[in-house]
Amino acid sequence: MSVQPEVTYEKALELLDRKLRELEDGQLSLDDSLKAYEEAKRYLKLCHERLEAARGRIEVRGEAAAPSAAEAEAPF
Amino acid sequence: MISTQSDQARPPLTVSELAFEIKRRLQPLAAVLVKGEVSGMKALRNGHYGFTIRDRGAVVEAFLFAGDARRLPMLPEDGQEFVFRGRVDFWPQGGKLRLIVDWVEFDDVGKLRAQLEQLKQRLEAEGAFELGRKRPIPFLPRRVALITSPTGAVIHDLQETILDRYPNMDITVYPALVQGTASPGSVVTALRRCNQDAAVDVVVIARGGGSFEELYAFNTEPVARAILVSHIPVVTALGHTSDRTVADMVADAECRTPTEAGSRVVPRKADLLRQLDERSTRLQRAAGGRLQREADRLAVRADRLQLVPRSLLERRAERLRRFVAELARLRPADQVARRQRELAELERRLQASATRLVRARVTDLERRRAGERLEQLVADRLRRSEQLLADRERRLAALSPDGVLARGYAIALDDESGRVLRAASETAPGRKVRVRLGRGALRTRVEEAG
Repeated sequence: MSVQPEVTYEKALELLDRKLRELEDGQLSLDDSLKAYEEAKRYLKLCHERLEAARGRIEVRGEAAAPSAAEAEAPF
Repeated sequence: MISTQSDQARPPLTVSELAFEIKRRLQPLAAVLVKGEVSGMKALRNGHYGFTIRDRGAVVEAFLFAGDARRLPMLPEDGQEFVFRGRVDFWPQGGKLRLIVDWVEFDDVGKLRAQLEQLKQRLEAEGAFELGRKRPIPFLPRRVALITSPTGAVIHDLQETILDRYPNMDITVYPALVQGTASPGSVVTALRRCNQDAAVDVVVIARGGGSFEELYAFNTEPVARAILVSHIPVVTALGHTSDRTVADMVADAECRTPTEAGSRVVPRKADLLRQLDERSTRLQRAAGGRLQREADRLAVRADRLQLVPRSLLERRAERLRRFVAELARLRPADQVARRQRELAELERRLQASATRLVRARVTDLERRRAGERLEQLVADRLRRSEQLLADRERRLAALSPDGVLARGYAIALDDESGRVLRAASETAPGRKVRVRLGRGALRTRVEEAG
């Protein structure tokens, strides 16, 4: 099962919790347990990736939109 | 007033002179306060504004320079009543008298509030304030936009709060004027641009509070509409000193201070990491526990296996060994080889017995024949021997030196070699010679040989 790139941190955490609950319930077969474990690990990794995705950049887009300052030209 | 006094010597005024004179005479009206209702408000080139001020009995044209307009806390709108400060001036080129407004104050804040209430009611009727309409604020935005003044404490506090909570958060600042008449347009433009860029998951609109007039922009319909149509969730932070603005009411989340807004849009990264650590621990424990349970189950089986009687195992093992041997024996190649070995052995034995048999027969035959021949041979031999013997006896008798010797002959023999001396030359003086006589013999020494 591949993890879609658009999965958000929140979604990945939710999926991780679901797998975790399944594992903790202890009702899974050994094979299913191992599968659930691998998936949970993938979601955990995804969460970490989401946390580190941003690079701490601060960008300024455009300027404060003000009406033209050239008011010297009076309509007289 | 222009003098009406007739003076024939004075030439008539030019229009320009008249206009100049009018302007000069208007100087006492250089700083007036006028109260009236706005109508015909329109934006002109270069950011100037033109409108009229009226009351029940009169209308005065008014003009607002762009530079003055930017300094005003709010832009007059049609139907609103204000107290205008300005100077009365005559515009020679247009031939018009105008009030050049440089400051505007609400004449009646209560009335303005009433108008604001009307706007709110209109928006409410449209469902603009309904919780169901509001966009959810993302739990963890990939990037945050700030629409505020690019300088000052507000943006500083916002950035500091966000980066303190989430050190690697990306921030895009869309600078905007947050007070003055240009403010609504500036905020609308910034929010629109932010939506066009579509590079952020949440946007904060902030300013550091202010009076009702200073926050005027955030009570205008254009700003409210821009927030409503934004695809990106909007969080307001317009200060705790003022009332709620319409912008606050239509926003998806409403905060008072930049710090509060920063906390609202960005989670504390350390908390998230702790959360993940806790899950990681649980995951390892759950998976480990499951494996341990499996290991325990295996151990139980191993113990039971130990309890199976050894003899049973050995019997099984023996049977197995037999089966293995039988299987090996039944292997075709082995069978052929074994048969070949048996055949070879039989052949060898057959050969051996045949050889023995033949040899026995041969020996037997030979033995029988040899017996007969031997008897014959012996008889013949005997017969011949008897004949030869008789003959020899006869010849011996004839040749015997004894007879000759008896007749008086002697035989000289070299004593050393025993040879018969047939000539004197065969011996020499001094040598011993035996002389056989008819009876007895002599041992002599040669004195002379010749």
